[in-house]
Amino acid sequence: MSDQSHRIAGGLIDRSETLEFTFNGTPMHGYLGDTLASALLANGQKLVGRSFKYHRPRGIFSAGPEEPNALVQLRSGAQQEPNTRATVAELFDGLTATSQNHLGSLEFDFMSITDLLAPFLSTGFYYKTFMWPAAFWEKIYEPIIRSSAGLGRLSMEADPDTYDKGFLHCDLLIIGAGPSGLAAALAAGASGLRVILADEDFSVGGRLNSESYKIDGVSGSSWAKQALAELKSMDKVRVMNRTTVYGAYDHGIFGALERRTDHQKTSFGKPRQVLWRIYSKRSLLTTGATERPIAFGNNDRPGIMLAGAVRSYVNRFGVTPGKQVTIFTNNDDGWRTATDLVAKGVKVTAVIDARNKSASTPITGAEIILGDQIIDTAGRKGLRSITLKSGKVIQTDCLAVSGGWNPNVHLTCHQRGKPEWNSDILAFVPGGILPTGMKIAGAANGKLGLSTGMVDAVAVAQKIVQDLGQRPASYDIPTSEDEPQSGGAIWHVKDSKKRAWVDLQNDVTVKDIQLSYQEGFRSVEHLKRYTTLGMATDQGKTSNIAGLAIMAECSGKTIPETGTTIFRPPYTPIPIGALAGRARGKHFRPYRLTPSHKWAEENGATFVETGNWLRAQWFARPGEKGWRDSVDREVAMTRASVGICDVTTLGKIDIQGKDVAEFLNHVYTNAFLKLPIGKVRYGLMLREDGVAYDDGTTARLAENHFVMTTTTANAVLVFRRLEFARQCLWPGLDIHMISTTDAWAQFAVAGPNSRKLLSKIVDAPFDMSNEAFPFMACSELTICSGTPARLFRISFSGEIAYEIAVPAKYGNSMMGALMTAGQEFDAVPYGTEALGVMRIEKGHAAGNELNGQTTALNLGLGGFISKKKDCIGKTLSQRPELNRDDAIRLVGFKPVKSDDLLLAGSHFITRDEEANMANDQGWMSSVAYSPTLGHSIGLGFIKKGHQRMGEIIRVVNPSRGVEIEAEIVSPHFYDPEGGLQRG
Amino acid sequence: MGEFTLKAEPFLDRYERDFGSVSIKELHQQAIVSFAIPNGCETKAEKTLNKVFGVACPKVGNSVLSKDGSARLMRLGADQLFCLLSNQQDTHSAHLVMNQKFGQDIYTTDQSDVWVCVEVSGTQTRKALERICAIDLHPDHFTIASIARTTMEHLGTIILRSAENTYVLLSASSSANSFLHALETSVENTM
Repeated sequence: MSDQSHRIAGGLIDRSETLEFTFNGTPMHGYLGDTLASALLANGQKLVGRSFKYHRPRGIFSAGPEEPNALVQLRSGAQQEPNTRATVAELFDGLTATSQNHLGSLEFDFMSITDLLAPFLSTGFYYKTFMWPAAFWEKIYEPIIRSSAGLGRLSMEADPDTYDKGFLHCDLLIIGAGPSGLAAALAAGASGLRVILADEDFSVGGRLNSESYKIDGVSGSSWAKQALAELKSMDKVRVMNRTTVYGAYDHGIFGALERRTDHQKTSFGKPRQVLWRIYSKRSLLTTGATERPIAFGNNDRPGIMLAGAVRSYVNRFGVTPGKQVTIFTNNDDGWRTATDLVAKGVKVTAVIDARNKSASTPITGAEIILGDQIIDTAGRKGLRSITLKSGKVIQTDCLAVSGGWNPNVHLTCHQRGKPEWNSDILAFVPGGILPTGMKIAGAANGKLGLSTGMVDAVAVAQKIVQDLGQRPASYDIPTSEDEPQSGGAIWHVKDSKKRAWVDLQNDVTVKDIQLSYQEGFRSVEHLKRYTTLGMATDQGKTSNIAGLAIMAECSGKTIPETGTTIFRPPYTPIPIGALAGRARGKHFRPYRLTPSHKWAEENGATFVETGNWLRAQWFARPGEKGWRDSVDREVAMTRASVGICDVTTLGKIDIQGKDVAEFLNHVYTNAFLKLPIGKVRYGLMLREDGVAYDDGTTARLAENHFVMTTTTANAVLVFRRLEFARQCLWPGLDIHMISTTDAWAQFAVAGPNSRKLLSKIVDAPFDMSNEAFPFMACSELTICSGTPARLFRISFSGEIAYEIAVPAKYGNSMMGALMTAGQEFDAVPYGTEALGVMRIEKGHAAGNELNGQTTALNLGLGGFISKKKDCIGKTLSQRPELNRDDAIRLVGFKPVKSDDLLLAGSHFITRDEEANMANDQGWMSSVAYSPTLGHSIGLGFIKKGHQRMGEIIRVVNPSRGVEIEAEIVSPHFYDPEGGLQRG
Repeated sequence: MGEFTLKAEPFLDRYERDFGSVSIKELHQQAIVSFAIPNGCETKAEKTLNKVFGVACPKVGNSVLSKDGSARLMRLGADQLFCLLSNQQDTHSAHLVMNQKFGQDIYTTDQSDVWVCVEVSGTQTRKALERICAIDLHPDHFTIASIARTTMEHLGTIILRSAENTYVLLSASSSANSFLHALETSVENTM
């Protein structure tokens, strides 16, 4: 176990609970309440990673989510997670952490040679260098760049953790549980609002845990604890720590990630993280502010940190990042670091204020230097000294830098809100269009003082209470003071000759920004993309404003004139696993089972996904060598005797009302007004633009009662479309619809013996004869001793056929009964493949033909558009372009050589023309091997197809390199007169 | 009795499981009949419903138990109600009975097999449903007898709060297994 060389007294950690962890295999320990960063610092580990581009040694820079440097890999094996910010990773017993982005050890990274090549690796280096020869792009340049790019590495194993999602609702979502957020939550909670208070930290209190503030006479952290206890006692208040609100979306909806078990070694089978969608009536952003650095020569060495972060480590974690700390500031807040460190017994070597302002507070033992700036630093793997513009060199192992504070405006920008410049605090504050219902308070709104911020937050919270129609309860605002905040504008030290880093995470320097401006990148957005400033995990939280300021200097404009980048979700990185949630593997999406699924499983079915449905594709029998054997047998036996297929998946819509027939007349191209009771009719629907939409049959069960069937794929869409027509186009008609797709288990019973089979199960006195129940008849009846059923005399196969429906709960039993009743006829169950083969043999159009590009004319159904009535899509179907003489027509194709197999997707070319797009005559939409005919058959669209019967054309499939010849034939390969199905 | 008889098989095979503070149970004997009110006949239909069930027709988003407690009327829309009848040996005959009672005053459709009907109950139910239910189930907002149409894990769902900590959920019967998985996962993840 390592010695905690930098641990000091105090802090909010629990020293009674020691936590063992390793960093790069070295055992270390920390305490409950530590972050990985604080524990590493406590153990004297300054070097924690390598920079992205130059592989420069980097240490911990901040104490929060803005961390650009200290990215590590947590855990190991399949649970390894790269690019995790050590500053927000909660320490737990057994944590394994490793550094990333180095070749060799962290201390001796072979890739650090890139730092020596820095003069050649200026901004835009890739774009300028890897331009030629073009042959090198993919084979040489890209592999090299890819192998050296990136930071951490994925485990390349499946993530063993589970994730979940959820939904929360509240009157007021308060984002950020610092002093302002806590005060606002207390005020709103006391007034009876349903409040959610979310904070990304594991300990609520925000900066109160890191500062030496007093509130109501007690320490800020103690006040935060009391506030938390009070909030937890309010039954309408939900406090969510370890929860990052990462995105503000429409209508007061927010995305939040709750890290539920990241602070534990194991999740014990529970979700590691939960992605919440929070619906709020109002939101209050109290996200505080982030300190900004100052860029100067070699300002990236381990040991150079934000001053506020140094205060956090000392005050909250009982850790000093250095033994001899120097402070470089341009504002009053930097001095607070010095006083807090001295109060904790930490040696402050010097305080350097870039302003010529006299010291506001005496700092015991420290040299006070005013009006000077740092131009360089020394210390390869840890800071050793700094050099001032005056030439003075100061030996120091930690430099705390404060360049002022930027309000955390991130979430205010998610709906294009553009921050506005506030010259009082020299920072952007929220502005422009804010997300619906959002208010901002405290430091996030530019009110940086503690007291000012809390007063502001309570006032805003009480206004929200009023807005929501409630009376604000009286709430005594806690007593606190405002700390001095004045500061000067120094973004970078201009006299510094060495490389000065603006964006530590992306290795973007002051010079890079100046060069990009020089090269013509005037827009901030262009600058960002050219230099990569502000990208990656920290999204420029510490670099954007400085980058903008340097660009403003280049252009001679002010910062607000130069512009600002706005932020997009997420505020901090969200694991892909959390976004996926439960939607993994089999449960990627819901699946639907047909009523006879169990029977099909027990009888050797192979299933296919059709949308969400799992349908039996074929039923293999012993001895069959492949799916074709099974399908050929199912087709042959159906055509020879009888076959049974579960067709429940077809959409079914129950339509009732006095005006249904008229309504159907509007939505179908063909007439339905006079459809007799007890009859079924095929119907075709068009889109508004005249293109074919869907087809199916509709049965009239009673005067005002119809049942429509749709294709499986369009079941929901057709229902939605009918609802639109009912509610918006013909609201005066009496029509009522409800889906009954799942209500009925429906089976196609097809083949010469289908009538005989069904006769065995229908209850007397139902008459199955052709005279009593002819083709296209329908009826409600009972079967199997009283089970309600519906029978339709329709055929998709071309055989004499029926579709019989029973309530879905009887579906599995029904399949068994049909098969038992059919034993004497050698009845066979058939799946979707045989169904498809028989419909192609019969020449029926299906989804492949109704593909959103074809018209009724193309489909050979032009006659179905009634001339006597109007319908949706009729007018536009008459456009000349859709009715050209050379329009494509659906026809059949059979190979000239009977052994050739037709391929769907092939294109048709005449024999004497070159196979290219210009000569394309059409395409093959459906193909099958016809066991009935003994050769391959196809349906397809070809120009003037109906006038070209007998012509031989080339069927070309360039993607598969296949070309054969085929003859154009009637699409009705089987029983073209239709005598069988009427028999 | 003829040569063949059919057996009704509940969608979740009469599933019932107690997780401790939450229980999930398939209500497999629930008959569901949809009522559609003809255009312009709203007053007449409401009177008919009052006469048959002995209670006033609920408002949209609410439900009411019939006077004898045997049926629950759920008002899903201005012209649509669902009638839930518990403990039905033959869930399909309910529709026939209703159809005979209403004639053309109200259009009826048997919905018993469209939906799998699941009751989730127990003190932690709301916490579990937070994981899949997008609507606000806070007791002050979603009061007892409230109903709503929503989605859970991409599946269309009708939710009824039938008692303090009891919810009845209706979802498509064909995806009953996926729906149950969603519920079980929600409960297990929040225990």
